[in-house]
Order: sequence, then C-alpha cells, then structure tokens
Amino acid sequence: MRAEVQQIKRLLEEQVYVTDAAVATALYLSMTLGKPLLVEGPAGVGKTEIAKVLAQALNTKLIRLQCYEGLDATTSLYEWNYPRQLLHIKLEESSPIPEAEKEATIFSEAFLLKRPLLQAITEQERAPVLLIDEIDRSDEEFEAFLLEVLSDFQVTIPEIGTITATHRPHVILTSNRSRDLSDALRRRCLYHWIDYPSLEKELAIVHARVPAISEILSRDVTKIIQRTRTMSLSKVPGVAETLDWATALVALNATQVDREVLDETIGCFLKDDADIAAFKAQFDSNHG
Amino acid sequence: MNEKDVVLLGRALREHGVAVTPSEVVTGATAFSVIDQADREEVFLSLRSIFTSRVDDFPIFEQLFGRYWDNTPEKHVEREGLSKTTLQVRPGAPRRGLAYFLENWGAAPAEDSEPIKVPGASEGESAAEKDFSSFGKEDLDDVARVARRIVKRLAKNPSRRWRPVRRGSRINLRRSLRQSLKTGGELIELSYKERKPKRTKLVVICDVSGSMDLYSRLLLQFIYGLQNSFAKVESFVFATSLSRITGHLRNKTYEHALERLAAKVRGWSGGTRIGESLAAFNAEWLRRIDKRTVVIVLSDGWDTGEPEQLARALSQLQRRAGRVIWLNPLLGSSAYEPLTRGMQAALPHIDVFAPAHDLASLRALEPHLIL
Repeated sequence: MRAEVQQIKRLLEEQVYVTDAAVATALYLSMTLGKPLLVEGPAGVGKTEIAKVLAQALNTKLIRLQCYEGLDATTSLYEWNYPRQLLHIKLEESSPIPEAEKEATIFSEAFLLKRPLLQAITEQERAPVLLIDEIDRSDEEFEAFLLEVLSDFQVTIPEIGTITATHRPHVILTSNRSRDLSDALRRRCLYHWIDYPSLEKELAIVHARVPAISEILSRDVTKIIQRTRTMSLSKVPGVAETLDWATALVALNATQVDREVLDETIGCFLKDDADIAAFKAQFDSNHG
Repeated sequence: MNEKDVVLLGRALREHGVAVTPSEVVTGATAFSVIDQADREEVFLSLRSIFTSRVDDFPIFEQLFGRYWDNTPEKHVEREGLSKTTLQVRPGAPRRGLAYFLENWGAAPAEDSEPIKVPGASEGESAAEKDFSSFGKEDLDDVARVARRIVKRLAKNPSRRWRPVRRGSRINLRRSLRQSLKTGGELIELSYKERKPKRTKLVVICDVSGSMDLYSRLLLQFIYGLQNSFAKVESFVFATSLSRITGHLRNKTYEHALERLAAKVRGWSGGTRIGESLAAFNAEWLRRIDKRTVVIVLSDGWDTGEPEQLARALSQLQRRAGRVIWLNPLLGSSAYEPLTRGMQAALPHIDVFAPAHDLASLRALEPHLIL
C-alpha cells in the first residue's frame, strides 16, 4: 500500500472514523487527481461523515451544500444583498456620483452574498472540503449547472467578471440513489460505494464512538441491528441509529438487551410503527 | 499488470456494457502511476473507483479485473442477463388483436356492446361505472374528456423554480432593484416572478395484443385524447414488438388517426411479449426518460416472454423515470389477483398499480400523474 494512502487512513482513524482501504484509496485518488468523489450507499451508513472527517483530518474548512428540489444558482452560488443595496442607493441619492459608478458600487463584491459554491471557490487560506450532500434530491437543471462549476472551478458573475478558484476544493458528493444521476456527472467523478458495515466493522465503530460501552452490550447491539437489516422493513436502521441506540443504552446503565430495555429504547433504531411491531414479534419468538 | 493493461481493461469493460469513456481511461492510466502498482487491492480499488460509476457494475469489473491482473485476458464474460432467451408463444385460442379491431372499429360498438363476460365488468349502470368492454361509440367522447382534464392538470402543476412575469404575486427583487437605478433607487416599477410550471412528460406504452381486445378501443381513445391536448406525450403500442405511434395519433380526427394506425399495424399477431417490447423501448428511448417523466404501461400482464426480462426492463425504467404506473384493466374486478408470472415479476418495479376498466378509474389516475 502506498504510504500516502496509509497516511490518509491513519488521519481518518485519528478522527475516530473506522475506515478501510477502499475509502482511503478513493480519497487519495480524489485529492491527487483533483477529481470529485461521488459516494453512494443506503441512508445512514456514514457518507456525509467522510467529508466531515476529511475536513477535520486536513484541518480545513467544511463547506456544505444541502441539495433539494428547486435548488438553483441564487441559493447555491451567489445572490445580491438587496437590503444593503437599497440602503446604499438611498444614502447616495443626493450625491453627484454618476449613475454608472453607483451601479458599479452596488454590484461589487461587498454587496455579494456568497453561497456555498462561491465560498468554496473563493476560500483564501487553503483548499476547503466541499460537501454536496444528497445530490440525488436536486433536479437535472441543477446537476447540469453543477457540472459546469465542477469542471473548471470558475464562476462568471455578469456584474463582476470571472472568479477562478484560489485553491481547488476537495469535492465530495453523496447520493442515496433516490434517482439515477446523469452519466455526465458520474463520469466526471470517482465513484465509491458504501454498504452497511460487517458485524466486525460495526462493532469497531460502536467501540470507537461509544467508548463507555461494555463488550457484552456492544455485541448485543450490533448483532440485533445486523439481524434487523435482514428483515424486510420500511426503514432499515443505519450506523447512525446503531450509535444512537448504543449511547441510549449506556445512558440507561443497561448491561444487556432484554425485553424491558428494548421497549424503552426501540425508538432509537426503528422509526416506523409497523416495523416496530414486526421486530418485536420476531424478537419474542427468538427469546422464548 | 501495466499501463497497457489498464487501457485494455477499459476497452474490455466497454465491450461488456460499462460506459468507460476515453477520458476515464486516461484518468486510469494517470492514477496507475501514482499508486502502488504491486498492491493488487490498491490497484483494484483505484481502477474500480475510476472505471465504474454505479454499484451494479462492480461484479463485472471484478471479473474482468481478475483477468487483466493475471495477464490472461480471454473470451467474453457472460454478463448476467444479457443472454438471449427463446420466446414461446402462449398456446390457446388465436386472439384477434388490434389489427382486427381497427379494421372493424366502425361496426364494432353495436356488436360488442353486449355485455361480455370479462373480469372487471361491473353491474352498475352509470357511465362512470360502465365497463369499457361494453362501451358504445358515443361513450368514447367521455374518455376523451377525461384525458383532456388530466392533461390540463398536468400543465398547471407548479415547480419549485421561478420565472419573471409582468404581473404576479411575488416580487422579483433582483430585477426590481436593477430597474430602480434609473429612478435613483426609488422602487417605482416592480418586477414580479412566479413559479415555473412543471413540465411533466408523459410516455404511454399500450398493450394491444389479443388478450386486451376488449379494452383496446377505449385505451386508444384515451391515448388519442392525451396526445392531442398535450405536447409532451409519446405513445407506443406493442404486442409482439414495439411500435411508436406518436405521429399517427397527432392532429387528426380520431377516425383519421385510426385509419392511419390500421395501415401500420395490419398483420400483427395477437401474442404478447411485454418484456421484450419494454426492453426494445429502453434500448431506444430510455435516454429521454427523466425524473419529470411519468411512464404509463397499459397491459393485462399476460406475457409469453421471460418474466426476468420484464422485471429487468421495468426496473431500468423505474430508476430513470419520475413514476411508473401500470394500468391493468383486469384489476377492476374484485376477484382478480395479479398472479400471472409477468405481473408477479413486474409488481416490485412499479410505483402505482391501478385499474383502467371504466371512466372512474381513469379519473382516479389524475393525482398519480402529478409529480
């Protein structure tokens, strides 16, 4: 294994992120080749976490763009600060400054509201981590717009001109696969798939993130969660739910998972009434 | 493994249906020079993250990578599901199919309006409940009306994006401010904005095989109604093969449209190959399907093809489309259960499964068409 890949792995682990060679390699290539990394996988397996941990490990800023349907340039790139512009016009009303100059003033950078994409491009100190979260929730128009930004990391604002990135941000995109992304976007990115962790990996995650947990309890928790994932439920618990549940059990001073404790805490990892009923039925049939 | 193998691997993947572009091959070769070339796992993970762009491509990548790593590239790997299967035609009485109906459509209503024993036929007398299989010619106008109503609703559906307008309820600050500069910052003339209408596209794929005989008339009228009041409708019919009929139904009287269609479909057999027809649709049209597209499949699910092929084609379609609706005329009957192999294979891959045997069921469709 390349020393740099090992170093990334170590850096991530220092941030209490249980990782593997696949994640470290993908991040290494993404940074070395300057390509965005597209991370796909079911909900709650820690896709977003990769970006957060990377930012901490690199000791740089995390800039996050949460996607939703209808997201457009004014909310993702930039917008003019209207109230400020209006005030400025009022103040300058009686001044003899020519109109063209007034216009140039209110459409200068001081009146610009930088949204996440522009922030990422204009970050001065060092390359930030740009997290474009749940890209599958935005629409095709935004995807096309994003492609343009990601291809050369420069933005043209008609009133100001072209702004080119001082440092190329490390871009991480996440998707829950709620819709198929365009081939153009996929080709532009490196691809990484995160699945639910294996029993051993999940156990390691629980120990890393909930250090106070006992060996017996952590085994109970991960085993139950792993079994839950094989049931056909409407909402399958992710790693986030495992950690929530483990934390709750520790807070309740539970020593093992029995029926009583389960009743109190089942809401930590199952969020649907029908799922809870199905799970309890199976739990009871397994435990006498 | 060397750089040449990386290029060859890229090419082999392309031959197996994984869309690897030349620029990705270049990236692969570049990456190869910055990683530990002796570490199989590292090379594997690196090239996989570059050459594949969806998890479904992982298995084929793994197979091919193994060959190039060991430097033993050889014969074609069988990609799961690409193998051709021979089709069997369902035995039974020969069905008449759409061609028969089209040739006799003028005379048909009188002869066919006798209540025929069909699943889905209801006993009610009101037009809304009257089963389509016993529809007369004049009832078809009602169907056209329903189609037009649905289309109207579709066109009005607002999206989350804005567009500037002369008069509206929301102020477009950006424009207003720009304009106010002329008047020294005094906001005298306001600009407005409104929600852009959502441009929902509709794709209708209609089964016109023999088993759908009783409903063909109505469904064609329905599609005709949709086609002529809404620009973004694509319509297709299939029995044993797929045929695009968008142009044939457009801008003509219904009679005229049917005549043109009859000329086109003459000689069709009455069998059904839903899976194959949908796969043919995907091959040519899937690229044009996006999240703003509602796909409606009209069929009773009697398939003589392979259910696996149907399931695969539908799941591809569902992944791309905003919604996949399957309308089954037989579903109107309380006794009907979707037990045919085709229907069983299809069910997991459709968003809405609804009846289409009377006017009320078509009206009920409206909310499902709004994305």
